Formats: sequence, structure tokens, C-alpha cells
Amino acid sequence: MTARGPQGNGRAGTTGARPGALGFLTDTTLCIGCKACEVACKQWNQLPMDDFGFTGYSYDNTGDLGATTWRHVAFIERVSDREGRRPTRLKAFQSNWLMMSDVCKHCVYAGCLEACPTGAIIRTEFDTVVIQQDICNGCGYCIPACPFGVPALSLTDGKAHKCTLCYDRLKDGLEPACAKACPTDSIQFGPVEQLMERAKRRVADLHAQGVTEAYIYGDREVGGTGGIEGLNAFFILTAPPEVYNLPAQPELPQRKVLPAFLSTAAAALGLGLAALLSLRRR
Amino acid sequence: MSMGYERRWETRRQPGGSAADEARDSYYGLPAIHKPHWKWSIVLYFFLGGISGASYVVASLARLFGGPEMRPVARAGRYLSFLTVIPTPLLLIYDLGRPERFHHMLRVLKLRSPMSLGVWGLIAFSLFSGLSALIQAAQDGLLGRRGPARLLRAMPDRIIGLLGSGPAFFLSGYTGVLLAATAVPLWTKNFLLLGPLFLSSALSNAVAALFVLLTATRQAGSHALERLERLDRLALLAELALLLGLRANSGPVIGRPLDEGRLGQAFRGVLGAGVVGPLLLQALARRRHSGMAQALRLLAGLLVLAGGFLLRFVLVFAGHRSADDPQATFELARKR
Ligand code: SF4
Ligand code: SF4
Repeated sequence: MTARGPQGNGRAGTTGARPGALGFLTDTTLCIGCKACEVACKQWNQLPMDDFGFTGYSYDNTGDLGATTWRHVAFIERVSDREGRRPTRLKAFQSNWLMMSDVCKHCVYAGCLEACPTGAIIRTEFDTVVIQQDICNGCGYCIPACPFGVPALSLTDGKAHKCTLCYDRLKDGLEPACAKACPTDSIQFGPVEQLMERAKRRVADLHAQGVTEAYIYGDREVGGTGGIEGLNAFFILTAPPEVYNLPAQPELPQRKVLPAFLSTAAAALGLGLAALLSLRRR
Repeated sequence: MSMGYERRWETRRQPGGSAADEARDSYYGLPAIHKPHWKWSIVLYFFLGGISGASYVVASLARLFGGPEMRPVARAGRYLSFLTVIPTPLLLIYDLGRPERFHHMLRVLKLRSPMSLGVWGLIAFSLFSGLSALIQAAQDGLLGRRGPARLLRAMPDRIIGLLGSGPAFFLSGYTGVLLAATAVPLWTKNFLLLGPLFLSSALSNAVAALFVLLTATRQAGSHALERLERLDRLALLAELALLLGLRANSGPVIGRPLDEGRLGQAFRGVLGAGVVGPLLLQALARRRHSGMAQALRLLAGLLVLAGGFLLRFVLVFAGHRSADDPQATFELARKR
């Protein structure tokens, strides 16, 4: 858990977000786990239901983001020891539960967008990342190319789906359905620069109130690392990212393309030479 | 498939530790990233595409530098390349969620998307492969004597072969980059090794296929077969080194899918029966003469081909396993 505080390496709170970019600040210290965001998202975007069942490990029966689930509220029960007992002393904020409404991060440099071979995934005028449903042919390459496990192929229409940051609502000057529905303002919508300022102030406040674990996930120091240059939908967390199923220092997968092609070309030269020497007339 | 809803939490971790253990350093052991949907059609595509590209390269080099005794190799290589490239676009289209929209791939060319590059590379290569096969057919008199056949015979087949070898190598090797440029821990951790591994395996597969074909049809002389075997040996040695490098570079956590369960067995099968076994059989065959040696060499060739298919199966499905393992994802995203 080193260097995860706001004092880390000087990149805390910085983001490569383009001027005017719109995004989310999801402040998990305010989340009460009501799942209004999940419901509002399903309603506005007319997404079908998921499997109706129980996961059996927490109040989270949604499990994961998917083709028909674009907000997912994670529930983490804090247990103190190997026997799984609860701590007797309650921590400030969120009691024994961590709750976090996960969503597509609308990365400043997005793995899914770069991978898409049809150009279906675009960056909109709001600097959000959207899959154009009339273009996607369901090749599925964006699915493993997202470092956060967000998009998924639909079983019903064969295409990739994920949060659009309510592109249609933004066009009409409305805020996204989840942010509108959130009763505690855990989900806040606005220009990324303003949200980041607000997040920094909030983290400082939390530290002053004794929640020294609080930090921003989605700046250039944590979450938006490795060429991603920040997340337009970012978070305030109070436990290591892995606890929320988030990678601490993800990398933009396309960083590997050039070096991988170079090593492959070198191998092609070597093997071509071996073939020439073996096959030539002597 | 038309249920309209999905179960997404079936990929839970193996029973064992308590929920408290799991919740400490992962989210109840659930996958942190999504795995690709690629199944057998992609495995087969990797296999056939590899053979197609590499046999084109072998044919071109045999034609350019091999002299008259390598003509049968060049001929077989051109035909084999064309025959194996034909099904590849069909396999890719079959794999799409919306096959009728396959042509949307042709809207754009994206240099940072290996899949986009691969589509264009496959198209470029198919043109070369088809043209070279046509020229070969014309040279063999299969297309008659006049008109187009004469035109084809007049084409500079050696230069075409040389030019086509670029896209051919690309087709055999880009698949490694395709896997590397994802968030799948096992693939991206080995980003420098996968392309060379696909290439060397494609070369050994193509040479083995040509060896088997030419031996079975008694088309090539012993000199040609000897040279093919020498090349096969080099390719197999490269493959062996890369496979061992892949395992070592993956480390204990990310490399787990290569060790455990059926996939681990399959990986060891690739190493043993697909690479080391054929090398030993070939060495054994060099000590003997006559029919016995022939049989050993044929067996080696068939094992190489089976190993090549199995290798691609293991790489694809070990990737699924790796994507489902949050510990692997987090290990990758911690070490910077
Ligand atoms: S979180 Fe994943 S799906 Fe969302 S923009 Fe980033 S790479 Fe794309
Ligand atoms: S599944 Fe659709 S959105 Fe995803 S990479 Fe393929 S074409 Fe693009």
C-alpha cells in the first residue's frame, strides 16, 4: 500500500483529460449501496435483466459489469482476521462495508478504442468512449483489450456493449441517469477538471477527519497509469484497488504493439536466414 | 443463446480459502478482466494461417535459391499455402458475433490494432498466395496452354514470391502480437516471445507438412527432403527455446495455467510430443537407413503438426484461464 496516498510521486491528482472532458467522480465514501444507479441505468438504457439469483458471498448479486449491466455496485464486507470475524470497532464512513459503484472508466487513452478493428468505438465530443452499435460486428477484440474488464459481448445481439456515459442524455444537456438517481451524490457528474479539484479537496477533508486511507483512483498515479493517462470516470477509494477488483497500476495494452512487432520481425529475419541457408543449393 | 440474460459469476475461484481470505486481496476471487470469447475456430485459424504463411516463405526461398532439385518443394509449398489460406477468412467470419457485418473491418486501417492490421495483412497475403498458386498451376500445365495460362507463365514468379514473403511472415507471426496487445496477463507478460513463438512453430509446421506430403507422394528427391529436415530441426530448436522462455518468463503466478490441470498436461505435451519427440525421432532416423528411417521421419512430421495445433489451443485457452485469475491480473498491474 505504498505510494497510494496523495503524496506519492507527484502525479497524484493529475490527469491527461482533454479540456472540456466530461466524466464521473464516484466517491465511495458516500455510497450506501442502494443500487439506484444500477436501476436507473437499466431503465434509461432499456437493458434487459441479468440472471435472477444469489451469488452467495455478499449483497452483490450483480457480480460484474457486462453487456447488460453498465453500473455495478460492489459490496465488500470488511473482516478482521482469518476466521472472518468482524472488527468490533467501526471505522468512520461505510461501517463494516465498502460499497462502490463501478462503471466504464472512459479512459483518456482507451484500450478498447485502440483495439477496435472496425472503428466502432469512438471518442465523442464530450471526450467519452462510445461503441457505435450500427458499426460493431462482434469481433470481441475490445473485450480483453480493456484493462478493467468493462465491455462484454451480448448473448442476444452478438455485439459489444458498455456504458455510453448516457451519450443521448449528454446531447440534450442532461446528466447521466445514474448520477441523476444517486441519492447521496456518491456519483457526481461534470467536467473532469472540476471533478478532480473537488476530489482532491474531498480527500484532504477525509484525511483531516481521520480517514487517512482515502485516495483518488484514476489519476496518473493510481488507475490511470501506463499510458492510460487518467480516467475520465474516477473514484475515491479507502482500501487497496484490488479489494474493489481494480488493477493498481494498469497499462495501456497497445503499448506492447510496436515492441512485439519488432521482436517478431527480428525472429522473421533470423528464421528466414535459417531457411535460406538450409534450403539453398550447395 | 437467446436467453437474454447472462450469469456472470460462475467463474468463481476454486473452493479452499475463506471468503475473508478472498476479500483481502481480490474481490471474492472474481475475474478482474474479461476474457476473449475465442474458441476452436480461432485456434484453427492460427494453425492454418501459420502454415499458409510459412509454406509460402519456404516455397519462395526454395524457388529462389534451391536449384532444380527444390522445384517440387516450391510447387508443393505454393499449393499448400493457397489451400490453407482459403478457409482462414471463413473461420474469422464464423467467429464474429455478427458475421454479416464482417466487411465493417474494411472501413478503417488502425496501426495500433493488431486485428485491423491482421485483416489487411491477410488480404494482401491471400492475393500473393493465390497468384503464386495460379502461376504454379500454369507452369504445371493445369490451366491449358493458351491465353491466361500463357500470361501467368510469363510472370516473374520468383520476384512475386520474394515480395509475398513479407506478408507471409506477417500472417504467421502477427497473431502473437494480437494476443500480446491485451490485458490478459499470460499473453501481455510474454509480449516479446509470442510473435517469435508463433513464427517458429508456423515454420516447423509448414516444413513438416511439406515433408509429409512430398514423402507420401514420392515427389521429392532425398536431397530436397534432407534440406527440409535440416530446416525443421532449426525451427524446432527455436520453438523449444521459446517455449522454455515462455514458461520461465511467466513466473509462478502468471504461469499457473501452463502448469496446472489439463492445460498444463497439454503444454507439457506440446513440449514433449510436439517438439522434443520429433527432434529425437529425426536424430534416430539419421542412424538408420531404409524404410525404418522413413517411417520415423514421417511420424516426426505428424507429431510436429499435432504439436503445432495443440500449442495454439494451449495458448488461447491458457489465456482464458489467465484472464479469469485475478491474482495474475493484479500481479501484472503491480510490478512496474
Ligand atoms: S474502462 Fe475499458 S471499456 Fe471503458 S474506456 Fe477504458 S478501456 Fe474502454
Ligand atoms: S466487438 Fe465491436 S466494438 Fe469491440 S472491437 Fe470488435 S467491432 Fe469494435
